[in-house]
Amino acid sequence: MSDPTVDSGSLGLLVEGRQRIGMWATARRMASTTKSASSAALTFELVGKCSTTRARASILTLPHGQVNLPIFMPVATQASLKGLTPEQLEATGCRLCLNNTYHLGLKPGQEVLDAVGGAHKFQGWNHNLLTDSGGFQMVSLLKLANVTEEGVRFLSPHDGSPMLLTPEHSMSLQNSIGSDIMMQLDDVLVTTHPDKARMREAMERSVRWLDRCIAAHKYPERQNLFCIIQGGLDLEMRRECCREMVARDTPGIAIGGLSGGEAKDDFCKVVVTCTEQLPELKPRYVMGIGYPEDLVVSVALGADMFDCVWPTRTARFGNAITKHGVLNMKREIYAADYGPIEEGCGCQCCRPVDQEGSLGITRAFIHHNAAKETVAAHLLTLHNVWYQLDLMKQAREAIIADQFPAFVKKFFDGLYPDGQSYPDWAVNALRGVGIELLDG
Amino acid sequence: MTVDIEPQEPESTAMRFEVLSSALKEGASAAARVGRLALPGRRPIDTPNFIAVTSRGTLPHVTPDNISKHLQVSGAYFSLEDFVEKSQQNLSRPPPIFSAPTNPNHPTPLYSFTGTPSHITTILAARRLPAVPSPIGNSTKSISIFTNTGFQNLSTTDYLSAISTLKPDITVPLADLTNNSPPGTSPTSKRALRMAERTDEWIVDWFNSPLSTSTSTFAPVLPIPYPIQWEYLSRLAEDYIPSGQLSGLAVHDPDIIPDLHSHQPTLLSLPLLSLSNPSNPHHILRHVALGTDIFTLPLINAVSDAGLALDFTFPAPPPPPSSPGPLPLATDLSLPSFSTSVTPLSENCTCYACSAHHKSYVHHLLQAREMLGWTLLQIHNHAVMSAFFTGVQESIRRGTFEKERLNFGRVYDSEMPAGVGERPRMRGYQYKSQGGEENAGKKKNKPAWQKELAAAAAAAGDGGDGAGKVEMTMPI
Repeated sequence: MSDPTVDSGSLGLLVEGRQRIGMWATARRMASTTKSASSAALTFELVGKCSTTRARASILTLPHGQVNLPIFMPVATQASLKGLTPEQLEATGCRLCLNNTYHLGLKPGQEVLDAVGGAHKFQGWNHNLLTDSGGFQMVSLLKLANVTEEGVRFLSPHDGSPMLLTPEHSMSLQNSIGSDIMMQLDDVLVTTHPDKARMREAMERSVRWLDRCIAAHKYPERQNLFCIIQGGLDLEMRRECCREMVARDTPGIAIGGLSGGEAKDDFCKVVVTCTEQLPELKPRYVMGIGYPEDLVVSVALGADMFDCVWPTRTARFGNAITKHGVLNMKREIYAADYGPIEEGCGCQCCRPVDQEGSLGITRAFIHHNAAKETVAAHLLTLHNVWYQLDLMKQAREAIIADQFPAFVKKFFDGLYPDGQSYPDWAVNALRGVGIELLDG
Repeated sequence: MTVDIEPQEPESTAMRFEVLSSALKEGASAAARVGRLALPGRRPIDTPNFIAVTSRGTLPHVTPDNISKHLQVSGAYFSLEDFVEKSQQNLSRPPPIFSAPTNPNHPTPLYSFTGTPSHITTILAARRLPAVPSPIGNSTKSISIFTNTGFQNLSTTDYLSAISTLKPDITVPLADLTNNSPPGTSPTSKRALRMAERTDEWIVDWFNSPLSTSTSTFAPVLPIPYPIQWEYLSRLAEDYIPSGQLSGLAVHDPDIIPDLHSHQPTLLSLPLLSLSNPSNPHHILRHVALGTDIFTLPLINAVSDAGLALDFTFPAPPPPPSSPGPLPLATDLSLPSFSTSVTPLSENCTCYACSAHHKSYVHHLLQAREMLGWTLLQIHNHAVMSAFFTGVQESIRRGTFEKERLNFGRVYDSEMPAGVGERPRMRGYQYKSQGGEENAGKKKNKPAWQKELAAAAAAAGDGGDGAGKVEMTMPI
């Protein structure tokens, strides 16, 4: 059994000793000071570190304003957050959301984006945008894709016509979109891919494609290009990829290829292996992560940014995310439940009716219209986005107050009130960074 | 002319309706009038005006915060059939709306269950607008309604009890309507006679029963000729105006209003709510000219679903000199010509959708079938209609309404464009599935995208290189 006071080493990972010691020495020096680093279009300011785990609180200043990390970024796939007006999204506190390059490339298309003057203007969103490269569609539409050194060949899901996405095309599209954070095109494989040679090829190709992306990026002074660490579940390959990517000095760093069905233990090992090697004064983005437990554990492992379609998608299926777990509002038990979606939640739907802006929405009304009127989906989307943003805000406040381990325990106790049935992967991962959930 | 409805019981002086000005001076045939309907605790409604039509307790696609912030609408129409379906999992559970607890922001169960902002005047009637035709007839004491889980009977006593519990500001007692006949056809005279007789009996029962004093009754006026329902209408005028129990009329076909002028003028001291479904602003103006005060306009929801942005004002602008013909009443934003148009949905509109967004974005949202497209169109279309009615009120006050109405007819197209865009998915409570051979294979909705994708993949075969096709390099 590990001693909860021992840091990352207790994950039992093979880590180069010198590097690890160096990093934790930095951490101790950092505890009470603010340190920042800038690149052309980004400033990263570390404002707090947990003295137990690797959790960090920071301020990221982007071309469209400041955002507080750790952060959850909701996904407005097609330049719209699933029925919410940009004004409503802003009211949830969101200042950084995603658009999907692949989808915007299809509709409205690059010509329209150029004519209108970029995606901010197109969708009336004056805060920050992050775009993926379009590469993730290689995983989600794998049957229709074929990867070569040149790029990815797709068959259009709309009419079956052949299309090609290269690093240069991805950059050109993201330059047209004008996103504050752009992602490199990477060769994504599901982490559970059995062919190790193919995995290495994908990792190495992703590094080569980063070089092509950097060369093709037209506006480094106003758009930030992030690299993406690949390497599947092979930790040595991940380390190698980290070294290569970090050497290219992008303003931010993403850990990619995860949330593709791998075991949670494996997921955590990859995150912790990467965060260990990444420079302290750059934002770290774990792509495609959205379950509340995953967010909290990933923050503890040293990650700062997350995105996922799950909170908004599950809202459309009638599911509410709460501190006690996910509640399916379509269930008969909620038909005559006149309480708010979540007691104590501060979102517009849930906040007490005597508070400013309260909508007084009940579970009964959501039940009444879930999967019927779109308004029920909009209201649950408002709630779920608020929940995710608020969870990260609370984590941030806890980190700054150096109360993060207590926050993590309280969070898990909300989900597992018996204090016993915590998932093993979370217990193990948190133990690795000094939090013992089972202590009581 | 100022007419206050003063019911006998002092606490029931809930509603006030004043006619402030009328177009009578413009000519004997013009009965258009300006008024104000005020209910305690609600935002007063300047008339002529319209109220929003809800579906299952909500204005389609618009959340309550957006209603409060971005719509000028002061009233909403609700149907009881949207709330009383029998639960399939729990047959014995009463409809949850009846037990919804109230609070200061939501003073009745209707407000608290639906989250309707309290400045909105609520009108609750039995059936949706437009109502889905029922194959089952009405009986002597009940009508057939269509819920999310199928057809049900609604008895006059159950309806009264529901209204007493939900306490809408305004309600319409049951009418014996023939909702199963195709639109535009009139019932046979035998059927029409029975409609009048039953509705007459039901209104007597209604007013003999105790009703919450905070609910005003608008009696239905049937879509049948005046001579067939004159007895019923005289009873309304002679018994229930003096008793103070009747606060307004819910007119199914405004063409009967001239007959009321001739035969029952006292009824016209009441506010007239139209439950007809005018299909364009010309029809609305004609009904205003007849004397309609408040409209329910299912048209707006349908227009938004069709991807149309309303584009008309009253009085009509002078037609542009270059204009080859009448101006369109709406812009079909699904058309590809709007893909890069960064102008507001309609010129000079100041609604939220027009000030924060542009045609190009709404076009994209419709193409991508993103729900926000319909939300922005709802906000815009309700704003255009609000401005239209403000224009109508000012025109009547100026005494130029008839002239401007005729001009409007000349300047604008006679019909709405159809809208080429794909509508939102239809839900079970919005239509009745049709059996029979001619409907076999016809689906109301397109298959879900996964199925389409699977079909596309199958059609493309496994040929990853797309042999024989011209390869496009960019439009990923």
